[in-house]
Amino acid sequence: MVGSPVLLIAIPLLAAFVIPLIGMIWKELVRIIPGLVLAYMLILSATLLYYVSYNGTIVETIAGWQAPWGINLVFSPLTGFLATLMSALGFLVWLFSYRFKRNVDFEPAKKYFIFLMLLIAGAIGIVITGDIFNQFVFIEITGISAYALTAFYTGRNSAEASFKYLMMGAMASSFLLVAIAILYSQLGTLNMADIASKMHTMNPTYKIIALIFFITGIGIEAEIFPLNGWAPDAYTEAPGPVGAAFAGIVVKAGVYAIIRMIFTLFDVPGAYDFLIAIGLITLIVAETSALRQEKLKRMLAYSSIGQMGLVIVAFGIGTHEGVFAALFLMLNHAVIKPLLFFSGSSLVFNSKKKQIAEMNGLGKRMPLMAAFFSLGAFAIVGLPPFAGFWSKLSVLSAAANEGLLLIIVLILIVSVIEIVYYFRVVNRIFFQEYSKEQSVVPHRPRINAMVAMFVLAIAILIIGFYPDAVTGILHNAAKDLMNTDQYINNVLQLGQSLTR
Amino acid sequence: MKKFLVILILAVLGFHLFEAFSGLGLGVTRFEKGVKDYYLEKTVSELHVANTVTSIVVNFRGFDTLGEVTVLFLAVSAMGGILYKRRHQTGDRSVLFSSSSIVRSGSKLLFPAIILLGVYVFIHGHLSPGGGFQGGAIIATGFLLMLIAYENFSVSHNTLSYIESFAGIFFVGIGLLGFMNGGTFLQNFLPAGVLNNLFSGGVIGIIYVMVGFKVAAELTGLIYTILHEKD
Amino acid sequence: MDDKLFEILEYGVYGASILLILIGLYAVLTKRSLIKIVIGMSIIDGGIHLLLITIGYLKGGTAPIFSPGYEEAAAQMVDPVPQALVLTAIVIGFGVTAVALSLIIRLYRHHHTLEIDEIKRLKW
Repeated sequence: MVGSPVLLIAIPLLAAFVIPLIGMIWKELVRIIPGLVLAYMLILSATLLYYVSYNGTIVETIAGWQAPWGINLVFSPLTGFLATLMSALGFLVWLFSYRFKRNVDFEPAKKYFIFLMLLIAGAIGIVITGDIFNQFVFIEITGISAYALTAFYTGRNSAEASFKYLMMGAMASSFLLVAIAILYSQLGTLNMADIASKMHTMNPTYKIIALIFFITGIGIEAEIFPLNGWAPDAYTEAPGPVGAAFAGIVVKAGVYAIIRMIFTLFDVPGAYDFLIAIGLITLIVAETSALRQEKLKRMLAYSSIGQMGLVIVAFGIGTHEGVFAALFLMLNHAVIKPLLFFSGSSLVFNSKKKQIAEMNGLGKRMPLMAAFFSLGAFAIVGLPPFAGFWSKLSVLSAAANEGLLLIIVLILIVSVIEIVYYFRVVNRIFFQEYSKEQSVVPHRPRINAMVAMFVLAIAILIIGFYPDAVTGILHNAAKDLMNTDQYINNVLQLGQSLTR
Repeated sequence: MKKFLVILILAVLGFHLFEAFSGLGLGVTRFEKGVKDYYLEKTVSELHVANTVTSIVVNFRGFDTLGEVTVLFLAVSAMGGILYKRRHQTGDRSVLFSSSSIVRSGSKLLFPAIILLGVYVFIHGHLSPGGGFQGGAIIATGFLLMLIAYENFSVSHNTLSYIESFAGIFFVGIGLLGFMNGGTFLQNFLPAGVLNNLFSGGVIGIIYVMVGFKVAAELTGLIYTILHEKD
Repeated sequence: MDDKLFEILEYGVYGASILLILIGLYAVLTKRSLIKIVIGMSIIDGGIHLLLITIGYLKGGTAPIFSPGYEEAAAQMVDPVPQALVLTAIVIGFGVTAVALSLIIRLYRHHHTLEIDEIKRLKW
């Protein structure tokens, strides 16, 4: 093994403290070190995931105190899968933005890479921790990095978008603290497995109040309706690769936190139906709003919110097939959305207002970018044989198994809406005429950006044509989430502890 | 109209919250065995640290403290990044009005005493109430006093960056050193000493001193960045 | 007499912290100047921290420090865990407020006003 799960957090923190010092010696190192760190994180999490699939969950204790008296990290098939996904995406985002805007001064460039690295480390921390207050601290780390990255450009709108995000994020952390206060006062412990095992002794009124505060708090990060007012502005005003990082990494951590609360910690009846309801509302509102958008990145942001609503609906179905479908959707969304953001931001690179109407006829001038964008669009609406088809199919079959016909009908209607607004863009790129005064000047992306997009495209094609490559991991992860007792046993008795 | 609606919603929310929390009661024991009994017992028998809150913050839940130190670092970096301007002139400061002579002479007397108090607080973090964060904040207040009173008092920005980075590297380094001798991250590997001595608690006192330096350097840097904001 | 006093204390402490939270929420939701909104956020933080510490109180308890002479007093000590949580939460709240204020400075540079109606240009 190349290390233990705590190094997934400790090494980025160490690198973040070291970079300002080393930046004074050689300026190029500021861009290289985060890449090395992210590559190491990717290799470490992939190796650990492989180990965990055969040998069972790894529980690592910090500071030598066993759970529930110390903090512990849990690297199980589910959390390991998400951590590997996030580090892989993080590495690709770094690769895309390596030579991004060379004319930016040294100071902002240094800060950009530090914030990007800590955003990814914070999101991974949310996923692998086993303690609710520790999760709160990591939510704050991710949040502050996100506020700073949203305000990166010096225009008028980015500060406003960042301020809106900050206000809602501060509300979220306040609600979370109240929920932690209620839980601690009743149960006396902060460890997730310990809370899960003691939950049946708690007064039901307090349970529901704590759950409501938790969902409201984490829901602001996970962008469920009506708490996602900040999201379209933040995605639009952030730099292109940062928007991809938000959509592919941060939202998934938020959805994971909600799922962990509802599946493992709380045993409130009716929580699953609540998930289905809120997921459907998010899906419908977001997709219909996407139809009316004129700016490309804003449309992609609304589409991303809608996809997360679909994921929550799939989780709410509650069976093994439902959880499997939800994880498959998360995997596909994590691979397709960054490709759309990357190619989209390259297509409208030279425009000031970044409108869809300016993209006429770019298919002939920038064929590779247009091909990538179209591949992403086809995959996300669920055309066979691309990747999105298999995940949508599994959601529909999971819903059919439970006899939830209303969900199937709504998902199909929404898919039609998606096809409309994505094909509108593809139509403009390929079938409209390019005009000098209306369309945007084509931009040639650099080689590192091309490589990043190429890797994502290959991943989409592999998943589409050969989905069995990933279904094994997903089934393991789904089984792990449904099995609460095993989680409690693993943590409280240290199933595979790393104390040598 | 909008204000009336807001007050109505807040009244309902407040009523429900009040009902929930007064149902909890003040000063009653609500659970039979929580983690706090373990902490209170182990801090005397194994760690030999007198201040339980310090042993929780640095040792039992030391990972949270690492995250908190990172949040502080991120906040100060974000401030520097958001307020960045090209051709940043570090020489001039925005001064509204100069301070009176009482403030000038008084702060010159108070400044060493405040620094001494701050250093005392974070060195004795494990024996009496206090610790790294509190001591660092006190030291930063002393610097704030001097910066307000004198217009040409300056602290070298580079020194602050060095202290901040070195303290952070030291903290994570001690954590990684915990891996030796078959331990885990952040484990205590120095002998624990005797209760109520200055050199007790092993690694805990050292970590807290580092945190004190880091917090003092960061807060002073933050004040410095704000004071150099010109229109 | 003693019990009545304690009951008043209990309602008073919980009531005061909840009142702080409500005042802060009122400021965030209705005030039009950006600085007042950030001050409201700080007040909410203060109320929540007070609430968190009050949860850990033990009747007739003493501080959780084992000074010489108090080494066997573990049964009468208040709960040290919420105090550690609040220590972390105060620092985090401070960090978020610092970032918010720097964003306000940048907004002021562009618009030369701090009213929230002038600044809202991004539609829903």
